[in-house]
Amino acid sequence: MTQSNSQEPRPGLIRRIWNWFWTPTAVLSVGFTLVVGFLAGILFWGGFHWSMEMTNTEEFCTGCHTMETNLGEYRETIHYNNHSGVRAICSDCHVPKEWNHKVKAKVMAVKDIYHELMGTIDTPEKYEDHRLKMASQTWKKMKQSDSRECRNCHNFDYMDFTIQETRAAKEHQRAIDNSMTCIDCHQGIAHNLPEGYAEEYKRVVEELSMETGSQQHKDAVAQANAIRGYLNPSVKETPGG
Amino acid sequence: MLDLLGTIAGNILGLAGILGLTLGLATRNLILAAALGGIVGLVETLGFAGFDMASVEFMDLFIAVAVGILAGALGCAIRIKGTTV
Repeated sequence: MTQSNSQEPRPGLIRRIWNWFWTPTAVLSVGFTLVVGFLAGILFWGGFHWSMEMTNTEEFCTGCHTMETNLGEYRETIHYNNHSGVRAICSDCHVPKEWNHKVKAKVMAVKDIYHELMGTIDTPEKYEDHRLKMASQTWKKMKQSDSRECRNCHNFDYMDFTIQETRAAKEHQRAIDNSMTCIDCHQGIAHNLPEGYAEEYKRVVEELSMETGSQQHKDAVAQANAIRGYLNPSVKETPGG
Repeated sequence: MLDLLGTIAGNILGLAGILGLTLGLATRNLILAAALGGIVGLVETLGFAGFDMASVEFMDLFIAVAVGILAGALGCAIRIKGTTV
């Protein structure tokens, strides 16, 4: 007895799985498939969202050794301890709330893992060497987004200037009049400022105005410098603010 | 580079990717599916910019539309391969 030549060889494992995946089911009803698919979707999306929110906790953000320096600085600021008992943690300022911006920020944060592994800022000296560059990147993002993360909590529209200090009310009004954004004046609000921050901020804004061709950015820097001069005429640039 | 990858990931997991795929699943016409996905990408980008064209960055718009088109086409391919109707 001879074997038939027409007998096809058995497909490989991947091909068999592929064929099984696309073969219409003969044992499951449409309702069953829909209900199971719906429940699986809820479980998947819930788990995905829960995992993403886990990465927004302060414990997660500061779990790496290299985050100790900026954690210490942040704990000295009003965003950590204040009279109202409201606290802004890392993700409140550094992770956008809107979904598409949030996913983008999470993907970009992969670089933090790389630098943690490479030890880019694992000593105080290295940290100081990179402080201006890191601050500059954050300022650029905030300037580009019109300080979007600040405005999750703060908004000119919600401010009652009558109960602000006269100086603050005056400068906030000036900021509104000149289309300025929070970061134009409030650099170093949560972390120490590096040496030469004013020049670097000016460079960042000029770079952005070159990209967008906007005169508004340049005007904002001029106004911010004027406000700084008004607030502290004796010191034009103070590291560690 | 990271900025680009982040934008693509944001769109895949956002309206352009998910709604684009869903609309693609609704038709066997590849061109229509891709067009529907592209429209979702366009509307998503404009919506997030408050329908202010001045606030729309060309690269963001391009990536959103491209992801929408690909998602729509993928949805259509799944429909053709996975159903008999």
